[in-house]
This record gives sequence, structure tokens and C-alpha cells, in this order.
Amino acid sequence: MENSSKEDYKIQSFDLETQKLLKTALKDPGSVDLEKVSNVIVDQSLKDQVFSREAGRICYTIVQAEVKQTNGSVFRRNLLNRLQQEFKAREETRKRSTEEWVCLVCFICNIFDYLKVNNMPMMALLHPVYDCLFRLAQSDALKNEEEVDCLVLQLHRIGDQLEKMNMQLMDELFNLLRDGFLLQEDLSSMGRLLLLEILEFRAGGWTLSDTAQKYYYSEVTD
Amino acid sequence: MSEHRRYKCENDYKPDENRNKGASRWSHCRKRGADGVLRKSNAEEEPARDQRCSQSSRRPESFTTPESDGPVSRVKNWGDEVEAEEMRSNVRRDMHRYRRRILAADFPQRDRKISSGSSDSRDSRDSKDSPAKGDMETDETTLVRRQKQINYGKNTLAYDRYIKEVPKHMRQQGVHPKTPNKFKKYSRRSWDQQIKLWRVKLHAWDPPAEEGGDLQQIEEIDFDEIMDFEFDVECSADTESQCPTTNAPSLSLTEDSFTGTPKKMMKMDEDAEMS
Repeated sequence: MENSSKEDYKIQSFDLETQKLLKTALKDPGSVDLEKVSNVIVDQSLKDQVFSREAGRICYTIVQAEVKQTNGSVFRRNLLNRLQQEFKAREETRKRSTEEWVCLVCFICNIFDYLKVNNMPMMALLHPVYDCLFRLAQSDALKNEEEVDCLVLQLHRIGDQLEKMNMQLMDELFNLLRDGFLLQEDLSSMGRLLLLEILEFRAGGWTLSDTAQKYYYSEVTD
Repeated sequence: MSEHRRYKCENDYKPDENRNKGASRWSHCRKRGADGVLRKSNAEEEPARDQRCSQSSRRPESFTTPESDGPVSRVKNWGDEVEAEEMRSNVRRDMHRYRRRILAADFPQRDRKISSGSSDSRDSRDSKDSPAKGDMETDETTLVRRQKQINYGKNTLAYDRYIKEVPKHMRQQGVHPKTPNKFKKYSRRSWDQQIKLWRVKLHAWDPPAEEGGDLQQIEEIDFDEIMDFEFDVECSADTESQCPTTNAPSLSLTEDSFTGTPKKMMKMDEDAEMS
């Protein structure tokens, strides 16, 4: 039972003491220092690729638990403000470490996906998310497979939501991607493949046709 | 293809760049920049590349312009923004629910009204309690402000104790505090006064304090201690006689032993009737 809950939130990468802290936060948020919990989560998500893609879920659960227990939103407030700091420093982060930058984008998008307000995505995060994606669509980022991979992953996960909230920005983003695909010479072939796939994905209404699915994802038979 | 040049910002990006420097759409009109430094007469004035960029005074560190429902202060943190967002969407949701409730309540009345030729829905049984759609407060700013004031009152220990002790169906008009209805039309002064009175009434359920303040507070403490004791022993016959004076918190349980509402409460009732 305990193992499966660890798996759900992907917290195996934390040290045991921190795992305990997180589990307590999930059950009894009023009893822990929620600012510390939010910092711990953000710190880890910037280091751990796997966690950064799934951290939204544990954050959502803690937020709900806190509302239920104390009707408060201390955790969410601290989480968002810390996230904002990291977002502001994103260019420095990108220069320092591509991996950290990619983790940051994954995390912000994951939070956008999970932390909803009355079942609506948080407006406050909409432009920051778009900012990150636009940054990834710049030519110096497109030539890195790591960054292209991050970009297409986010678009797969939350592209339709983003488009619904602001169609114009999504159109502009895809113009960049189209240009990059066609004109940029220093793209890796994998980078090109990823871009082509996401272009088709959106063109198909955020889903892949059967033939495209077969083309991109089925095993190549010799 | 044409949009590509708009996003060359990565080359211009300086993480610590002061947003108050640099050109904006109106900078040619100003002698000094927003940071107080005198501008050169023919400074680097980039033409507004696009509507959005110039509106935000060219913020190269962002590709997008923030949009918001209302006036936005420049320095905003996400925590506050989301909380404000949540409040607005809660208020909107409340408004839809309220509208549906009112329409459902008015509907049977309206049928009769139409048949008798009258279209004035204000004649419905109690215009105070069931305002027609047109009489409802719908301004979001006002509703959010009112909701904040209500939240201050509901976040108190007194309110928690009150709702635990007095279930809704046991509440008596005038005696028990009632949350002001934010959807009714009131003047600002009237509303603020209602909130004030409501919160004063709620104080009757304040938890016992460690040290007594003024005399009134001490009186409240005595009541509370006695009441708590009564509740602990589930209002057995013995304890009822120990409390000759009454206090609203125990109305729901020991109604027989009451002679009437205490003087302190009665005065407030008179004031509250004005709504």
C-alpha cells in the first residue's frame, strides 16, 4: 500500500526524511511547515526530470488537503511565489544548465495542468507558460534536441488547453515551429522529426491520425 | 514567416534589465525615463514593433503581454493573482447559483402575475428576500469586495463555534446572526453597517479568553464557561438550574429554561431591524 502511494507521486528520489515530510503534508497539512514543503518540491523538480513531470499531482493533493483541513491556501501561495522566482530567473537557469531549464518548464506546465481554480486553469500562469514555450521555439533552443523534446512534450500534454485559452498565441507559436522546421539548418534529424510530428498533431486537432501514429510510433520492421 | 523577426528577443535579453529604461511608445514625449534618468534627444527609439509590445512598454523578457480582467498593479506575485482569480470565479459561480435559485423561487409567482396582467415582479411575496434579476447586485468588483468582508467574518473562531452550535433550521430571525446577502442591492454605507452588526453579533460566540478585558467580556466568559459545561454533560436537568440568565448559544438545546433574550442581544436586534 505504501509503495503504491510512493509510486503515484514519484517521490522515491527524495531522501527518507523528506518523503516522510511529504507524506505528512498529504495527510495533515496543518501540522507541517508548508513553505518548507513547497520549497522542497520546487528544488527537487528542478533536479529530477521524472519528478518534474509528475509533481503537479502531489501539489494538487496537498492543496486540496489544506483547503479541506484549514480552508487555507498557504501551500499554493508559497509554491506559486517560489515558482515565479524561478520563472523570472529562467534565462540565467538556461545558460547555466539546459537540464535545469527543461525541468523548470516541465514543472511549470505540470502545475498549470493540475492546479486548477474551480476547474479552470490558472490565468496567472497562462502567459508564463507561453513565454517558456516561445523561448523553446527560438532558433538557439531548437537546435538542442533536449529542448525540442521538452517543447513537444508540453504541447502534447497541455497544448489544447493553452489553445483554448489563447488561440492567437498558439498560432504564433506554431508559425515559429513551422519556420524552424523549414528553414533552420542546424536542427538534428530527431529535432525535425519531433517538430513534424507536433505540427501534424495540432493540425489534427491535438490528436494524431492513425496513419501518422503508425508512421511515428510503430516499430520499424527490417 | 513574417512573425519570426518579432521574437528575436533572445538576443536582447538581459536578465537584470531595468524595465524602466529603454524606449516606449511615448518616450519621445518625455524628458526623463521612468527611472528618472534624462533621455537623450534621439535615443534608441525602436518603432513599436507590434501593438502588444508597445502597450507593455517593450518588455523584451516576455514574449506575451499579461491580460487581466481588471486593473493590474505592476508588481504582482502569482500567489496573490491566483487567489484573486479564485475569488472572482467563486463569486461568479455563486452568482449563477443564486440566479437559478431566485428564478426557481419566482417562477410559480410569475405565472400568476402574467395571467393577471401585471408584469411587476417586485410584487412577489417578499421583495426583500427574492429580488428580480434586475434588482440583483451583479457588479463583480462590488461582489468581490463584499465577499472579502464576509470571509473575514467567517474565518473567525466565533463563526466556527456558531455554526456548530446552531444549525440553520434552528436559527431565529433577529436573535441569531445572519450573513448579509451580497447579491441584494444596498448602498455602500448600508452594506458596511450590516457587516459591522453581523460581526458584533458573532462575538457572542467568541471562545473564552485567557484574561478578561472589560466587564462585558468577562460576562461573556462566564456564559461560555457555563454553557460549555452544560454541553459536556449533555444538558442534564441538574445543570439547567445553574444558569438562570440566558445566552443565545444554548437556545437550541435548553429552550424551556429561557426567559428571553439577554438585554445585550435585544438592543442589537432593534438596530438590525433597519435592514
